[in-house]
Amino acid sequence: MSTATSVRTAARVENAVKVYGRGDTAVRALDGVDVDFPAGRFTAIMGPSGSGKSTLMHCAAGLDTLTSGAAYIGDTDLGSLDDRRLTLLRRDRVGFVFQAFNLVPTLTVAENITLPLDLAGGGGDREWVDALVDVVGLRDRLRHRPSELSGGQQQRVAVARAFAGRPDVVFADEPTGNLDSRSGQEVLGLLGRAVRQMDRTVVMVTHDPVAAAHADEVVFLADGRLVDRMQSPTADGVLDRMKAFEVRS
Amino acid sequence: MNAPVRLSLSSLRAHRRRFAGTFLAVFLGVAFLAGTLVMGDTLRASFDSMFGEATSGTDAVVRGADAITTPGEAQGVRRPVDTALVRTVERVPGVAAAAPNIQGAGQLVGADGKPIGGQGPPTLAGNWITDPRLNPYRLAEGRAPVRSGEVVINRGTAKKGDLKIGDTTILRTPDPVRVTVVGLATFGGADGMAQVTFTGMTQADAEKYLTARPGQAASIQVRAGPGVSRRELVDRLTPVLPQGVEAITGQESAQENTDMISSQFLTIFTTFLLVFSGVALLVATFSIHNTFAIVVAQRTRENALLRALGASRRQVTGATLVEASAVALTASAAGLAGGVGIAAGLQALFPAIGFPFPEGDLVITTLSMVLPLAVGIVVCLGSALLPAVRAGRTAPLAALRETAVDSSGASRPRAVVGAVLAALGVAAALTGVLVSPSVWLAGLGAVLALAAFVVLGPVASGTAVRLLGGPLDRLRGVTGGLARRNALRSPKRTAATASALMIGVAVVSLFTVFGASLKATMDQTVSRSFAGDVAVSTPSFGAGGSGLSPRLAPAVQRLPEVDTAVGLGRGVAEVDGKGRALTVTDPAALARTFDLGTVRGSLRDLGADGIAVTRKEADRQGLATGDTARLTFTDGRTQDFTVRAVYGRSELAGDYVITRAAWAPHRTQDSDSLVAVSFKDGVGTAAGKAAVEKVAARYGDPQVQTRDEYAQSSAGGIDMMLTLVYALLALAVLIALLGIANTLTLAIHERTRELGLLRAVGQTQPQVRAMVRWESVLVAAFGTAGGLGLGAFLGWVLVRASDGASDSAFAFAIPPARLAVVALVGLAAGALAGLRPARRAARLDILRAIATE
Repeated sequence: MSTATSVRTAARVENAVKVYGRGDTAVRALDGVDVDFPAGRFTAIMGPSGSGKSTLMHCAAGLDTLTSGAAYIGDTDLGSLDDRRLTLLRRDRVGFVFQAFNLVPTLTVAENITLPLDLAGGGGDREWVDALVDVVGLRDRLRHRPSELSGGQQQRVAVARAFAGRPDVVFADEPTGNLDSRSGQEVLGLLGRAVRQMDRTVVMVTHDPVAAAHADEVVFLADGRLVDRMQSPTADGVLDRMKAFEVRS
Repeated sequence: MNAPVRLSLSSLRAHRRRFAGTFLAVFLGVAFLAGTLVMGDTLRASFDSMFGEATSGTDAVVRGADAITTPGEAQGVRRPVDTALVRTVERVPGVAAAAPNIQGAGQLVGADGKPIGGQGPPTLAGNWITDPRLNPYRLAEGRAPVRSGEVVINRGTAKKGDLKIGDTTILRTPDPVRVTVVGLATFGGADGMAQVTFTGMTQADAEKYLTARPGQAASIQVRAGPGVSRRELVDRLTPVLPQGVEAITGQESAQENTDMISSQFLTIFTTFLLVFSGVALLVATFSIHNTFAIVVAQRTRENALLRALGASRRQVTGATLVEASAVALTASAAGLAGGVGIAAGLQALFPAIGFPFPEGDLVITTLSMVLPLAVGIVVCLGSALLPAVRAGRTAPLAALRETAVDSSGASRPRAVVGAVLAALGVAAALTGVLVSPSVWLAGLGAVLALAAFVVLGPVASGTAVRLLGGPLDRLRGVTGGLARRNALRSPKRTAATASALMIGVAVVSLFTVFGASLKATMDQTVSRSFAGDVAVSTPSFGAGGSGLSPRLAPAVQRLPEVDTAVGLGRGVAEVDGKGRALTVTDPAALARTFDLGTVRGSLRDLGADGIAVTRKEADRQGLATGDTARLTFTDGRTQDFTVRAVYGRSELAGDYVITRAAWAPHRTQDSDSLVAVSFKDGVGTAAGKAAVEKVAARYGDPQVQTRDEYAQSSAGGIDMMLTLVYALLALAVLIALLGIANTLTLAIHERTRELGLLRAVGQTQPQVRAMVRWESVLVAAFGTAGGLGLGAFLGWVLVRASDGASDSAFAFAIPPARLAVVALVGLAAGALAGLRPARRAARLDILRAIATE
């Protein structure tokens, strides 16, 4: 990858604090996190459960708001946006792949893929969408309903939908959590190809070291703090790192 | 408490909101039903006590033994008794006092120059009975009439007409009489006998103006001396009475009066209200069933877990039924309280709108409490039964499976059963309407058609929603498309939700179509039968006041502008043993101002012993021109008439026509109900009408109308009825709306995750709201469309069946403007019902919605 793209930041958080509850029962899910997700890169967020990795993703993606600190998509400060603008930002500049229930059951595969574009009311780039359909290999399923697809196929549709609007960044929350390993590999492969061949940006939350190994970089979270970063990770390297945390905590 | 009961009660507590709709539906239905029953009982009791009190001093009533009752009338016309009989009665041992009771029609003119009453209850006039204990009216202010022209009027009438003691006004008997109010009276402690107006005059005046001949009274009121019981009094009176005159106790007479009011007014009134509470409860059934069906579907996992843990089918079914019982009991009990409240409110409201009846406690009988309670519980439990059984059938393994979307509904057996029902219904209706006219067969067809609509709902909902929602995709893009598909998700649920509204709209459309048809019929009748230029008439609705002076028609006839003026009076007689209404008129003039259809024989020379009959009636009685018909009049005399003419159209002219000369010996208080006038050639309607109005002013100033005005006013009562029907049906529509709102709220609860996803990928809050609202509108559109179709069909069946069952021809009319309004209201109602669920959907917390458990 060229250095020019890695300088640009697709999303970042500054001194992010997220507190749930009040008083004695208050939980600091994020405790002063600073992290940036460079454009054109595939970043994985790892950490044991309860480490705040999902909260980080939700806040960075504009699904949730920070207690203090700031979150940016590109140069846009999410804290300055009301619900409507936040919704429009998610629609136009962010893509999502969730662990499950990614698709609207009443819509066909094709309609699910173009859903954010249709919600925006504009046509979007239909050639790009068409190319995506081939990349995820679902051309023969376009008129099917989600209930007629396997779990892996459903996640591939979700991936296609996430990239359909050429968003600044795609957030994936445990995208392979509900899949068998072969389907999981397919989905991770798709995410990787989107970054490396189509110059997209992906941020993925996972607890699976094998999944994390598909990323360009892994950031480690523990107890709401950023504790480490690892470039060009391998599954074994990530696993060792995780074991080290568990011993410590 | 055993486990299922505990489970269901805790689930009720946890999901109170889910049952808010069910609660309201049962509550409203039961409240309406209980309110109607309490209201009816209270009114009946207050009439009873009113008559009891008013006539408590009358121990016996002497009157004509036989009454001639014409079809469609509750109270027959009795032969008058001779006032001279009072002397005979007074001499009977044990009689303390006796007084003649002379009664007729007399309509007062108010201070503003407008007649008082006449649009419904009768306007009575009579002699003021001087013995205060025999007089049902009590003098409240002023004094009794002594001189000619002095009258006592009941206080309610005085209030309505703004008349005070000392005021002079006109009493139409129907000839205008100048009267001075000298006293105000009450009846049974109230300002009047409901809205009946009463004018009491001296006996001489009453005999002069209210009877055809002096010396006739409607009855003789008798009071017993000390120690003589009412029964004894009657027994002593009976031997001295001439043939054809009878004596009954005062109690029996009062009872007859209250029964008459009951059958004429109260029964119709309460039946009417009961029908509407029935409609409301039927609609509620669908809403309740739907709520439970959805709740059970949503609780599949929970029920499956219970089953897996060892709960029996019966326990799971039982738990759901216990839940339903709890809702049914609380809602029905609240409904009872609401019903009593409604009755109390109406009791307070009635005097305010000028409907006086004695203040009294509400009469709450066991029946009026137990019946609504039972109906509420049965409706609620019955509606929950199927869902409860389904809950019991939940397989333990369902806990492990993803909740499947219920897409059943369009099954083949359902389609077949529905189609068969529809075919049977339409066949029965058509047979009952076209082949062998029968209201029962037509009614059966209507019920079957309704059942077919309900059964076919889920089959049709897919196609219907696709069709109705077609334009939505183009108009509203993906939001509209999503709304359409959400409505299509569970055809059964959509259909059940829409069915509730469908029934409401169907009944509304039925009445709208029927009302329009009645109006068209009247219009047609007038335009077909009435060949005159203007009509002078009394209000067509109810008793019609005191009618028109019989001297009006001759006076109008003398105008230079007028070609023919003919007055139509009304008489009664038994024709070959059956009570019939007669039209008393100048038959030759009648033929000139009315189109009587084809006439066999001649109307010109009926004379004093000739009669004209409509063809339908002639066929029924087996009469033809030249035959003899034996008429028995109210004075007890019998006379043979020769049928001199048979005519085709009866609508305005009536079934039997005799001359004034023939009627004169038997006449009672004379009045015309209509004077038809045709002008000479070249006389403009406006000029002619003005001339007639000038004459009419001298005869009590009745209304003069052109042909069109006359046709319109004939139909005036229908609009009033329709307004009332709409107001009552609003309840059913409201319950249907609650059903839609409830179903949507539950559906949104089901789709929480999906809504969260939509919000995450960029659906704005307004888009979410629009999506839910449009779904609501679609469901409402489906229900409205079905209701309009069904209602129009049932209206057609009803009109045709009435046409077959009655003598006069019924026209069928579809009022497009009114039906369009009904459709719009249905759609608007849908949008309204969707408001709250839409707001809730838009406010969903995205994170919670998409959180993976």
